[in-house]
Parts: sequence; C-alpha cells; structure tokens
Amino acid sequence: MSEKEINKEGPGATVAAPKEVQIIELDGHGGHTLEPEWKRLPIGPDHILYSVVVGLALFPILMGDAGHHLADDMPDEDTHPFFPDHFWPYPIIAVVMLIAVGLLSAFVQKNLQLETSADPRATTIPRPDWYFLFLFQFLKLGPELIMSLVIPPVVVGAFLLFPFIDAIAGPRLAHRLGWKSWPVPGRNIITGTIFVLALVYIAFLTLWALAGPEFCLPYFTGPVCGA
Amino acid sequence: MAIPHPRDIQVAVVDWLDERYPFTKAVDEALYQRVPNFANAFYYCFGGMVFILIVFQLLTGVLLAMYYIPDATGNPAPAYNSVLFIQNDVYLGWLIRGVHFWSANLLIIMVLLHMARVYWTGSYRAPRELNWIVGVLMLLIVLFLSLTGYLLPWDTKAYFATEVTIKIAGSAPPAWLGAAIREVLQGGPVVGPPTLQRFFTLHVFVLPAVIVLLMYVHFRFIRAHGISEPL
Repeated sequence: MSEKEINKEGPGATVAAPKEVQIIELDGHGGHTLEPEWKRLPIGPDHILYSVVVGLALFPILMGDAGHHLADDMPDEDTHPFFPDHFWPYPIIAVVMLIAVGLLSAFVQKNLQLETSADPRATTIPRPDWYFLFLFQFLKLGPELIMSLVIPPVVVGAFLLFPFIDAIAGPRLAHRLGWKSWPVPGRNIITGTIFVLALVYIAFLTLWALAGPEFCLPYFTGPVCGA
Repeated sequence: MAIPHPRDIQVAVVDWLDERYPFTKAVDEALYQRVPNFANAFYYCFGGMVFILIVFQLLTGVLLAMYYIPDATGNPAPAYNSVLFIQNDVYLGWLIRGVHFWSANLLIIMVLLHMARVYWTGSYRAPRELNWIVGVLMLLIVLFLSLTGYLLPWDTKAYFATEVTIKIAGSAPPAWLGAAIREVLQGGPVVGPPTLQRFFTLHVFVLPAVIVLLMYVHFRFIRAHGISEPL
C-alpha cells in the first residue's frame, strides 16, 4: 500500500500536494498594469471594511441632530408612548438594514468565498476576522502567556466592573487626593481618559494589523509587522 | 339565531383570555409605557438596531441549519460541501448566507456603537450597573458566536484560525489545566470532526439560547429603570 492510499478520509487525509498558490492581487484586479488612483487607498471599495468606513462617515452627516427636535410639539422634558410613537422608526430601520445587507451579499461576495476544504497539513498563517485583529496584533507585543491569558481577562474583568470603578475612581478619589475642584461636572475625566485611550489603542492595533506584513514599526524587541 | 357581531366575538375571546391571564394588562404595559422625548435622538436607536440584527441572525441561521451538515470527516468534508451547496445551488442560498455573514459583521459594529452611546450618556451609572454587566456579557457572547461560526464552513482559514485560538486557550498554566481546556474545546488530540461538532452545538444551541435569555433580562432592566437622561 503506497502512502497515498493509507489516508484518504478523515481530517488528516492526503490531498493533492498543496499546490503552489498563485498570488492573486489583493484587489482582484488582474490584467491592468495601471491602476486607478483610488485603488491605492489602504481601504479600497472592495475591502471588507469599506462599507463600514463609508457608513461611519455618512451616518452623522445624514443624521446630524436628527430626532433631537424631530417635532416642535415634542419638548425634551415631555414623554410619549412607546407604541406607536417611539416604535414606528424601527420597522423602517429594519427594512433599510435588510436591504443594505442584501446588497452587500449580492455585490461583495468576495468575502464569502471559501478557501479549500480544511487540511491540517497545509501551512497557512491564519489572519483573524477584523474584530479580532487588534488582539492578534497585541499578542506580538510581549510574552505570549501574559499577552493572551493575563492581560485580556483582566481587561474584560475591569470592563465588566466598569460602573463600580467609574464610581470609585472619580470625584470621590479626587476629594481624597485633595483636589481643589473637579474640572468637568457630570463626567469622570479619570476613567474617561483611560476608556478613550484604550479605544484609541485598539483602533491603532487594528490599523497596524490591517496595514499588512510589510508594514513594520520599531518596538522594544525589534520591528513588529502587521498581519 | 342572530349572527353575532364580529366585535362581540372579539370581546368575548379577549374576556375569556383575560380571565385566565391578565393579557390585556401585560400588553398595555409593554406597548404604552411612556418614553421621554429626548430618547428620540438618533444615537438611542443603536440598541434597537442590534436587536433587529439578532433577529436577522436567528431567522437566517435557522434557514442555513436546514442545509448545513456539521460533519468534518473526509476531504472535502461534508460540512464544507454543504456550505458550497448553500452558496451555489440552494435557491437564494447565497442571499441567506450573505445576510447571515454581513449581519454578523454589522452586529459587532452596532454593539460597539451602542456601547459607545451608553458610555457617552453615562447610562451605566447607578442604578444601572447590573444592566451594563449584562450588556458586556452579551458582547462577549456575540464575540464567541463569531468565533464558533467562523469554523463552521471548515475551510482552510477557518481551520487554522480555530487551531490558533484553541492553542492560546490551551496554553493556560498549569499544564494539566491547559491540556484539559484544549481537550474540552477540541474533543481530541487535534482540531478535527469532534471540534466542529462542539463548535456547531455552541453556535446553534447554547449561545443563541443564552443571548436570547440575556436580551430578555436586558429589556426588563430597561423597562424597570426607564431611559437614562443624557449628561
């Protein structure tokens, strides 16, 4: 029995030796040597995050202060019944979102394409989905155990208990530290700064990973590249 | 015998039901609770959008489960072939799978926006701390749903992404604990058919049930607290 006949089924199955995978241009734009300028943007129209970026940019522009003074006979300090006054926009939002995801699935099928069926012996460097990219990048920045199993659980725990941390590490703490006054009434500048900095750091790590394996930044342990 | 007026039949049915359970009262409370007018600002709608997207996910997920085969034996595996079948042969299968995929991506964005709004309006503060905790738990479940759903097509990138994830979870000290975690997640020495079965069970039975339960708790809390005033 030759080696090839031994294992044709199961997860360790022999498949035709991993073919030389042809490098397809990331933007799927083969054949053209001169690319239009907009294709060179880090997130082009065929990128998975493009719709997100456009949506985030358009949303405040389209919405503006919408709803805040939707009607002159609805002063802020008054109330209205949940049904139908508060409920009616949601079916419309649902239809708009259904149309949006339907159009995305019709025109951006590239993101839904499957690779070959899983073969444990292939050598692939996996790249996680965009919402885990920051974690993936974070793991490269220190000893694996600390970056994966110590810091993230601590951060998640702090996040869960955020209301309590926020209540303690605010004006009450400032009073104990002997601050003369609190700069922003109603806001907690201590936890707020940490919260916003953490979000900025997550965004930075995501963009770093998105920039690709050729984009490297200096780090204590030597240059660290994107994913 | 005179034919009863339809309205009389309606009243009789509702009365009969109300004698057994206060349905009218429950519906009135659910539908006609007063909402403050400041909650009309657009940034208060993200939570509702998350709810709508989760409903999309449940509906398209049921349709996908009708054709999906959680079986990873062989190469190409039936799981992989069934996803290809959904994508290429099932009537409108590409649309259902596409809506499931894109709604999942949109869902994460909307959850984050909703969280940003809750943070910005200070809605996590007393007496709403428990609802914040429920919300963070649901965020974690959404991420776990994405993680488990990513493996189901059983293609190369799904396989290796899962392998890396399990390897990280399985590196927990001490060694016996890491090995136990890996064994539980993987169901064997390597990522294989039992892993797919486990992830499928989590993705289809366990996590959706938990998130629906937590959503109910979330909404009861909101009803009890009312909508928080912006800072």
